[in-house]
Amino acid sequence: MNYMPGTASLIDDIDKKHLVLLRDGRTLIGFLRSIDQFANLVFHQTVERIHVGKKFGDIPRGIFIVRGENVVLLGEIDIDKLCDHILQQVSIEEILEEQRLQQQAKQKTEKAKVTALKDRGLSIPKADNLDEY
Amino acid sequence: MFRFQSLDEDCTLEKEEGLVEEEDEIDQFNDDTFGDGAIDDDWQEEHKRLAELEERKNEGLGGLGLGGLGMGGMGGGDASTVQLPPPASRVPHPSSLPPPHHSLSSMPPPGLEDRGGGDLAESLAMLILGADPAIASVGGPTGPGDRSTGLPPPPSMPQQHQLPPHQQLTPSGLPPGPLHPSLLSYQQHQHLLRRGGPPMQQMNSHNIWENNMGFGPVSVTPGLVTQMEDSPLMSIIKEVGLPNRPPPVMSEDGRDLSERAPPPRSSSPVIGSPPVRAVPIGTPPKQPMSHAMNHHQQIHHPTTVHVRAPVHHQHRYPPSFPERISPNTLLNMANSPLCRPPFPAGVGPVLSQIQRAQMLNSQVAGFPRGCQGPPLLPGGGGFRPFFGQPPPHRMGPHHNHVPCPIIRHNTTHLHPQHRRMLTQRMQSRGGERGGRVGDWRSRDPYSNLMTQREKEWVAKIQMMQLQSTDPYLDDYYYQNYFEKMEKRQERDRDGVRKEHTTKLITPQVAKLEHTYRPVQFAGSLGKLTVSSVNNPRKMIDTVVTSRTDDEEKREKQVWNKRRQILYTVEKMYSLLLEVQDFEKRFMQTPEEQREALLEQHKTHTLQLYASLREKEWDDRVSDEQCLLIMSVRKGKRLISRLIPFLPPLQAAAVVMGIARNLPALAKKDKQDQALCWLVEPVAVVISSLSSAALTDLLQELQGSEGQLSKVLQNKFGVTLLYLILSEGERMQSSDLNCQLMDDNRWTELVFSVTRELLNVPPSSLSPPLFTPPNLLSLFSRYVDRQRLELLQEKLQISSLSR
Repeated sequence: MNYMPGTASLIDDIDKKHLVLLRDGRTLIGFLRSIDQFANLVFHQTVERIHVGKKFGDIPRGIFIVRGENVVLLGEIDIDKLCDHILQQVSIEEILEEQRLQQQAKQKTEKAKVTALKDRGLSIPKADNLDEY
Repeated sequence: MFRFQSLDEDCTLEKEEGLVEEEDEIDQFNDDTFGDGAIDDDWQEEHKRLAELEERKNEGLGGLGLGGLGMGGMGGGDASTVQLPPPASRVPHPSSLPPPHHSLSSMPPPGLEDRGGGDLAESLAMLILGADPAIASVGGPTGPGDRSTGLPPPPSMPQQHQLPPHQQLTPSGLPPGPLHPSLLSYQQHQHLLRRGGPPMQQMNSHNIWENNMGFGPVSVTPGLVTQMEDSPLMSIIKEVGLPNRPPPVMSEDGRDLSERAPPPRSSSPVIGSPPVRAVPIGTPPKQPMSHAMNHHQQIHHPTTVHVRAPVHHQHRYPPSFPERISPNTLLNMANSPLCRPPFPAGVGPVLSQIQRAQMLNSQVAGFPRGCQGPPLLPGGGGFRPFFGQPPPHRMGPHHNHVPCPIIRHNTTHLHPQHRRMLTQRMQSRGGERGGRVGDWRSRDPYSNLMTQREKEWVAKIQMMQLQSTDPYLDDYYYQNYFEKMEKRQERDRDGVRKEHTTKLITPQVAKLEHTYRPVQFAGSLGKLTVSSVNNPRKMIDTVVTSRTDDEEKREKQVWNKRRQILYTVEKMYSLLLEVQDFEKRFMQTPEEQREALLEQHKTHTLQLYASLREKEWDDRVSDEQCLLIMSVRKGKRLISRLIPFLPPLQAAAVVMGIARNLPALAKKDKQDQALCWLVEPVAVVISSLSSAALTDLLQELQGSEGQLSKVLQNKFGVTLLYLILSEGERMQSSDLNCQLMDDNRWTELVFSVTRELLNVPPSSLSPPLFTPPNLLSLFSRYVDRQRLELLQEKLQISSLSR
């Protein structure tokens, strides 16, 4: 705010730890190093955090450059106020496995739903590619 | 990366500001391509010097018994091979390498290493001792002796070269525990893997050099402690590191290579894009990783916890390392000072409280370096020898020959501009005092990657977007919101405290209309049309014609009138149609209703006529109305169909009206001659006219002066005239008692007609629809033979009928 009072700007967020949610559903946590006028973000020491249920796993990713249009939301993380007691951190392999299982289960239910609808003569178009419409 | 960047135009910039000589620059680039081992100072000279040393040593000294050191344990070959990649990549310069270098690098791994390593170590040590008066004063003669206790096999040449130029006395923290692979750089990792985790005990041989390099984790081996302890020289050596002549770059113009700061940006011609950097931001410095790799098995020196003072020549060596540990050093401590790094933290925070305080102190105070060294080591880790006050004192007298051990934290392999930028950045950061935030930020080695200039640039772009001449138009909601906020604040404050929220003031820039003027070269035909986003091509040459209000009104009026006429016509038509259909319906309806139908019929017809006639006079058709209706084509048709249904009197009145207004009608009818439809019904009417009426009609037709000529111009008019005349003739010829001749009117009228006919030029006489046959006979009554013939000719009246 010190640059432009009354406006919202990312300049004051630089060098702080942030959590960003991307349009494809990924969650990245890292130190915001650089921005530009399109809100393209440069993240440092980025970690991709995968949440499955109450578990989460961090995959270190290094340096990320995110194109501004793919950001859903972005928020600063309070470093001091640390982690949750609710969420449980697990290893990367475990979380990936959990994610895979989750995807599988989801697909199964989706498939069942689609067949059920088809039997009744209805069809709902898949919404997974709405963005690329 | 660096090389890649150098291919674009920024290369020139670098050349200007960066390196001094072409050769140096080329070497620089080449060095960079060598990878981590590349250095940016002149290794050639280094080689020469060391080669001399080597020869001297070879002459003087025998081989040192370094068996105890067990090079093999190091993964013998690995030791040198690990460092060989850099030298290997320097193969392009084989010719310039002094022989000893070759000999060193081509040493068979296990066997000669001891010896060669010892030689090199010794030579290096001698160099140090010889070079640095301080050390020399401390323990000169005992140098070689100390060496015997176990100088490590020397690192490869590149490392040697690295050692001298920069006093790598940068403090390095040591992780308390094993390194987490993710925290090391890729190269470090590689080295680790290659080395296969050398046993601790063997690392002592690398002790001096690695310590002097100043990075990497150091682990304690009790065995070596004693060894280390008993050589003050060793400690001094450790302290001092390998002094050497400063890199040529430095000596030239005091340019400093900042470790992490990128070289200055060139102004980019592309609007809206940030200036290009030669070295991408965040380019990790090349050197430290390898060092870290080499030294990760350093041995702790249990005794002294020394802090290396950052040494720096103000004038010669711009502050390379003002107040902080180099980021890579810190990294090499296997940790980042950032609390809770995103990676699984295998190590705790690097710096102890004291060290942090020291660092903060040094930074916040904006210390002119040299006084307080940043804390080097974590409490539990290894440490560097402490270098207290001395450097500043020694600056002056010494910078001539031997550079004092200047703490140049891993900056050797950076691009000179990079280094400078980094130091500048560090300087600026030294002034930061933002309490806890400032403290935390300053400890973050990667902070301020985005320079102030860049931040301002982004802010400027955002400000530009806010400029507007009409804020209420452009940003209505924000304006309202701001007003509400201000009011609320005023209300809350009640004017007690005059605290005003900062308001964003954007420049009120008048939006200029930039019309595109196509580029035109002098003397050329036509104009160039270069279309871009800002001036798109003109697709259509549209011209806006705006009609004035008056014109609009008039046009509207005209249209309204016409619409009205049409409306009237339509209504009359509907009545007419009903009248026309009467016959049919009459036949169809049963007897009882016929009466009613008849009545209806009559009403309709009356209505029809009523719409035509004058207000007061029953037997006269309203000229105005007639004109109006007849002005429309449909109206004419209507009349023509209407006349047969009208009672004779009314029909006659209509015809009279037509005749009366014929000139006007004729004028309007010029285009499509719709009047001709009227001929038939009118003829019928005429034939039923009385003589008086006929005369009247003729008179009407002639009307005012000049009317007849106009009439004659119109086909219908001529036809009508003929009809009248022929009717009159018929009357006369058929009925001897015709009253036509009773008054002179008819005769006079005919006379005038004939006169007119004769006078009218043939061109303006339009041919009639048909020529009644008895015209000739009519004319023959009134005109003499001569004129008759003329008339005949003119009117092309055939005398066949006769």
